This record gives sequence, C-alpha cells and structure tokens, in this order.
Amino acid sequence: MMNERRETQGAVAASAQGFAPKAPGEMMRLVDFSAYYGSLEVLKHINLSILQNKVTVFMGPSGCGKSTLVRTLNRMNDSVPGFKTSGKVLLQGEDIYGPEVDPVLLKMRVGMVFQKPNPFPISIYDNVAFGPKIHKMTKSRSEMDAIVKDSLQKAALWEEVKDRLGKSAWGLSGGQQQRLCIARALAVRPEVLLMDEPASALDPGSTAKIEELMVELKENYTVVLVTHNMQQAARVGTNVAFLYKGDLVEFGPAADVFENPKSPLTEKYIRGSL
Amino acid sequence: MEKNVSRATPDPTPTWRHPSVVANHKARTFRSLVFAGLCVACVLAVMIPLGDMLYMFAYRGIQVISIARLTGNPISATPGIGNAITGTAILTALSGAMAIPLGILGGVYMAEFSKGGRFSEALRFCADVLAGVPSIVLGYVCFLAFVVYFNFGYSAMAASIALAIVMFPYVFRTTEIAIRRVPESIKEGAIALGSTKTTMINRLVLRFAMPGILTGVLLALGISLSETAPLLYTANFANYNPTSLFHSQLGYLTGVIYLFYTSNLSFDVQLSYLATFVLIMIVVALNVVARLGLKRFSKV
Amino acid sequence: MSPKQKSSRIDKIYGTATALLSSSAFLFLFLILGVLLIFSYPSFAVNGFKFFVSSVWNVPTNNAIVVVNGFKTLQGAEYGMTVFFFGTLLTSLLALLMGVPLGLGIAIFLSQLAPRRLASPISFLVELLAGIPSVIYGLWGFIVLGPVLLKEVEPAMAKYLGFIPGLHGPAYSSGLLASGVILAIMIVPIIASISRDVMAQTPTELKEGGTALGLTNWEVTRKIVIPYAKTGIVGSIILGLGRALGETMAVAMVSNGATFLPKTLYYPINSIAAFLAVNFDGAFEDPTKMFVYSLGELALVLLAITMLVNVAARLLVRKGFFGGGAEHVIQV
Repeated sequence: MMNERRETQGAVAASAQGFAPKAPGEMMRLVDFSAYYGSLEVLKHINLSILQNKVTVFMGPSGCGKSTLVRTLNRMNDSVPGFKTSGKVLLQGEDIYGPEVDPVLLKMRVGMVFQKPNPFPISIYDNVAFGPKIHKMTKSRSEMDAIVKDSLQKAALWEEVKDRLGKSAWGLSGGQQQRLCIARALAVRPEVLLMDEPASALDPGSTAKIEELMVELKENYTVVLVTHNMQQAARVGTNVAFLYKGDLVEFGPAADVFENPKSPLTEKYIRGSL
Repeated sequence: MEKNVSRATPDPTPTWRHPSVVANHKARTFRSLVFAGLCVACVLAVMIPLGDMLYMFAYRGIQVISIARLTGNPISATPGIGNAITGTAILTALSGAMAIPLGILGGVYMAEFSKGGRFSEALRFCADVLAGVPSIVLGYVCFLAFVVYFNFGYSAMAASIALAIVMFPYVFRTTEIAIRRVPESIKEGAIALGSTKTTMINRLVLRFAMPGILTGVLLALGISLSETAPLLYTANFANYNPTSLFHSQLGYLTGVIYLFYTSNLSFDVQLSYLATFVLIMIVVALNVVARLGLKRFSKV
Repeated sequence: MSPKQKSSRIDKIYGTATALLSSSAFLFLFLILGVLLIFSYPSFAVNGFKFFVSSVWNVPTNNAIVVVNGFKTLQGAEYGMTVFFFGTLLTSLLALLMGVPLGLGIAIFLSQLAPRRLASPISFLVELLAGIPSVIYGLWGFIVLGPVLLKEVEPAMAKYLGFIPGLHGPAYSSGLLASGVILAIMIVPIIASISRDVMAQTPTELKEGGTALGLTNWEVTRKIVIPYAKTGIVGSIILGLGRALGETMAVAMVSNGATFLPKTLYYPINSIAAFLAVNFDGAFEDPTKMFVYSLGELALVLLAITMLVNVAARLLVRKGFFGGGAEHVIQV
C-alpha cells in the first residue's frame, strides 16, 4: 500500500516536471551508460534497472568496475580527474548527469556507505545530525533529536548507544561504527542507499548484523549493494548484476543468476575458477 | 539484534525538494564559490610581492652585472662584490663543516641510539629551543663570547660559529626524521645478517635516509646564506678578502645589501642590487635542487 | 676478542660518540643563556625595574661617568625597553592578523582546490618565498612597499576607515604597517606549507563521507579537513609567530626606527631585534659599556619571549589543548 502511494506520487511528480515515464517499481535505470577514466573505458554500455525497495547487487572480480559503477549512481566519481560518461543514469526518470541536476543535492537522494567505516571524530549524535544540520532540514532541537533517534533505530543501533549519544564515535566497535555510518546516511532521508562492500572490513558477527539490516532497510529504501561475497549476495539480494571488465555480463533475479547462470563467465565466477 | 520497531512513514515531499533545503542549498553553493575565490585571491596576493621582488632585482641586477663587478671589491677601480662572494663562500663552507657533521651524527644518535629517556627528551627540547633563538641574539652572544672573550676578534671563525649554531638544530631535526623513516625491516634484515649496528647505520640507513638528510642540509645552508645580523656582530664587514680565519674581517653578500643600500655613492647602491640579484639566484638554485632531488629520491 | 664482542664495542663507541656530539645542543644553549645572564646583570643592577616600564632609551655619551649600584654608567643615561617590547609584540600581532588568513587560504588552495599540475609549481613558489633572505625583504620593503603604503594605502585607509580607532589621522609614516606587512609575507610560507601538509593528510574516507552526505567542497574543508588538521595548523601559527618575533633585518630596514610608542597605525615603530641590530655600533661609544650590557638585557628579554612562546606551544599541543589526538601532531 505504501509502496503504491510513493510510486504514484513519484510518477505524478515526474510527469509534472516533464520527465520520461518510467517502468513501474523502477527507481533508477542505466541507459547505454559508459564511463571513462581519460581514454580508458571502464564501464561499457551498461543497461540495467534498479528496482524500488529491492536489493540490487553488483558482483564481479576485482577490477570489473562494480565500485566505479556504484559511485556513478551518486556522482561520487565527478571529482576524479579525467572522468567522463556517456549515456544516461535515470533517477525516477531524470538523468542525474543532466545539466539541471545539482550533484550536491543528488546526494540527499542517493546516499552512500563505504567499505571502511568512516565516522567523523565527533560525538555519535553529531555524526548522525551532520547531514540534516548542513541541509537545514530541521528548525528545532527536538526535530533534530527525532531524526537522530529515528535514523539510529533504522540502523539497528539505537538501543546500544541511546545512553551515550555524546560520546565520541571513534570509541565504537567496527560493526557499530558501520551501523552509525548507515544511520548517518539515512538521516538525510535518501531514496536510494548505496553500499560499497559495507561488511568486508568487519568480523563475521558484525557482518551478519549488517546483512540482517540490509534486508530490513529495503522495506523503506532502495538498496544497491556491491560485494565480492557471493553467499552474501545470494542471501540478501533480489536482483544480481554480474560485471566483468566493465561489461554487464548478466543481470537477473538472484536465484536465476546463481542457479541457472546464462553466461559461461558467470558460471566460472560462481565456481570460483575465474 | 534489536528489531526495527518503527517503520518509516515516507515523507509526503521528498526532503530534497523542500523549498527551504533548496534555497539553503543555493546559498551554500554560492558560499563555496566565494571561499574558493578567496583562497585563490590569497595565493595571488602573495605571489605579487614575490613576483615584484624577483623582477625588480633581476632587472636592476642584470643592469650592473659584469665579470669585473663579480670579481672586484667595493674599493677597486670597478667596484664589485667579488670579496663578498668569496666571504659568503668561506662562511658557508666553514659553518657547514662544523654544523653538518654535528647535526647528522646528532640525528643518528636520536634516531638509533637513544632510548627515549630523559636525556634525549632534554636534547630534543634544547634543539627545538635553539631553533627558535633569534639569530641576532646568537650574534650578540657570539660577539661577547668569541670576538671578545676568546679573543678571536672580528673574524670568519667567530661568524662561522654563530652560523653553525643557527644551522645545527635544523640538520639535527631533519636527520632524525629522515632516519626514522627508514623501514625497520631493512635495519632488522642487516642485523640478522650479522652486521654491527655501526655498519648498518653508516652503510645502509644513511644511504636510505640521504634524500631527507640532504634536504635538511640544503635548508640549513640556505638559512646560513641568508643571515645578516649575527655576521654584523661577529665579522663586522670589510671590502677585501680576509687574510686569516682569526682577527680578520671579511665581506659577505648580505652585508653588502644591508650596508650599501643607503649609501650616497651611486655605485654602492648598485652593488647592493647586484648582491641581491646574486643571492636570489643562489637561493632559487638551492630550492630547485632541493625540489628536484626530493622528487627523484621520493620514488624510493 | 671475539667478533661479537668487538662489534658491540664499536657500537658502544659509536653510540657514545654520537651522544656526546648531540650534547653540543646543551652546550650551545648553556652558552647563550650564560653569556646573556652574565652580561645583562650589570644593566639589571643599574636600571632595575625601570628597565621594564620606561619608554625612554637615552645615552648621552658625552656626560660624566657615575657609579650606580657598583657599576659604572653615564650620568643621565636611561634605559627603558617598552618602545621596543611593544613594537615587537605589535608588529608580530599585525603579521599574524594578515599572515594567518593568507597562509591558511594558500594551504586550502594547495591541498583541496588546486589540480595537481598547478599545486606543484605554486608550492615551489611558496617555498621560494620562505628562502628569500630577510635583508632582501627589507630592501624591497624600503624601495617599494614603504613608499606605496605611505603615499597610497595609508591615506586611503585614513580616509575610508578612519572611524576605526587607530586608523585615523595623517599618514605620518609607514613604519608600523610596512613592518607588519613584511613580517606577514615572511611567515606565510611557514603557515602555508605546514598547514597544507597536515590538511593533505586528512584521510580520504573522511572527506568522502562528507561529500557523500551532500557537502559542498568548502563545507568539507571547513567541517572535516580543518578540524582534523587543527593541531598542526595551530602549531604552524606558533612557529610563524616565533619567526616574526625574532625577525631582524627586514624590520630594521622598513620600520623607520622609532624611539617612541606609536599612537596610530601610521607611525614608525621599532622592535627589540631591529634595535639590537642597528645600535650595535653605537653601543661602543659608551665608555662604561652600560649600553652594551643593556642591549644584553634586551636580548635576554627577546630570548625569554621566544622561548616562552615555543615552550608554551609545545606544552599546549601535548596536552591536547588545541584538540585532536596525538596521532596527527606535527613536530613543533
């Protein structure tokens, strides 16, 4: 019910602005998208669809371009010298590389969590409040308190830190820090959450918690996950994209990709012989 | 793991479209540009005096330069700064000969032999305090101690001691830092092969740390070249070459600049410019060498 | 002797030798303090407390010799340091006021804004600035800066900013302002290069975390990079201050050698260091040598100021007064 409401509103808003109509349930779409570092083509004519409220996984061996791909979704690659793109990346029908889109505001809609937890050396509260404060999302302290509490709850961290919000974030464990970073990203109310190997620097226990969290998060957000851990992709992912040397080799529901891979490359990778 | 209690209710308007957020964002973007512009302005503001200095002194220096002027002294037929160049060379060489070995070996001690106890703490404190002592104060002290008390007279030796004390803390500190940067694994490898610590340091560590040490040495030499005040106190100034390291005054480039710039004799003033030009060239050359050397060796 | 014993003997000798040579640091400092204390004692005995509060420094060399507190001095000779003391503080303060923003702006430009191809040559130029000898700054100040300030800048300042206390009145001299400006230019490279280095060490992941939240470039710099580099930046400022306090020749050549305290910005000035440099010759015209001893006391005061700044800075940095953990403390 809630999903339909968002979808309708999204479509209404989109068509009101004269954007291209999008497929139902689709949040982002890459249309013949290529990316270059100088003259080196690192992503080749990618076409794929990222569905709303699902977990889309990007998978592949080192150097396949999955990190580059996920970073193009929130234009984090803009600052890399010599970075060029061709093709479109549509967010709710609007090309994020188009001239009217401001990269800074885009990041309010598409948030990101990194491989190595990177909380700021300030208090837990201030970390979560950082984004909303910059964007002036709240007018009062109580509004901010509400956002901080809500975000920490959504990141499954509230109970553990609610009594020490003023303590430095650097005193938390690795897994807690990563959940804090998730809370921090959620605080600006993004529509899409990008997660670039969020658990690869964590111990198995924390990894499990993060995976549980990802499944929960997709209820309210669209999640894009980059991972090199196939079991994680199978556990958590709705759709899986397999990339190899910049090409999108295969894309489809997780079960299909892992059990009946269409491409021999995919099969090799799954078997571990790539 | 706690269960997610509250399911978020989607905001009626996505936050990024809130008019206050958008307006605020416009202001932020503007501010970002303004501050970036200010930073660029800072760079320009500082490049202008530099450019003016270099241009002005190059211009005036080139007008006067000639072999005669570079070899003669202020009282010869063609007034020149030859003795000043010689004097600067003598002072730099002598003070360097004292300060550089002292500084390097001191740095070796701090990096390799000291156990971090109170002795080395005190040493480091002392060296840092020394680095902060104004050179005029050093000049005054060396005047009283060496020119007068030890009766060196106004001399290259007294001046060189003063310069050496100025240079020492820099060489000391940069050597220690450079040696500490050498990876432990290399040192351990040598010891494991049966080398003595002494050989390891002299043959291996110093070679590795050489770029950093040399940068420190060049820096110290540059400082020594640029000093004036302590030299005025310890070597006074002369228009001829010194006849001895003791009891014999000498000329030096910075002295020419300072003492001749208000002279009523026009060619004295010109010598001042010439000395400025020569000194700037030397400083630029030193900086270029230091930069290039560092770049080449940074690949280690 | 077995090879092993022999080798550890060499090491011991090397270690002791280098330790001894390092101790020359103690020797030098001891020498400086010792000489200054010995040679300023007569001045302290004769001038007493007045030295620290009087603004009159007058040595009538033709007067008769008298004996005060066991030391000879000239009759009517007065030695008061306040003009030079406040001159030192004032010029250094001006230098910081102008030099810190400039230095930080350059550091931000070099570490955050500039593309690599531009950052390298500009860094080189900034380091070049650091290497230019003090006398050459002084000469440029004398020929170019002083007259420009006196004829163009100060009258304009007095006209438009005259309502600010201290900036009113006729452009009498450029001494104070020129000294401040020259010192500012001289300390900019110190602040800029150290701050740039510390800022560049900010972990990329921290900056990326900020960018990913939708921060503009300036906000990343202001809210993430600068707080991270805070300790190093403050350290660089203190180093710059130390340099400004002891700077001699440039100030001597542009300050117009005042013997009275300034009333507005447009006055000549004098600093302890400059006064020491300029009066070295003249001090020997005093047959009682009290002039020399008083200069020694002045030098001691200057040394005390610079040592105080140095030591205080080090303590504050170590105690984390300026925030930040010890992880990114630079060698102050």
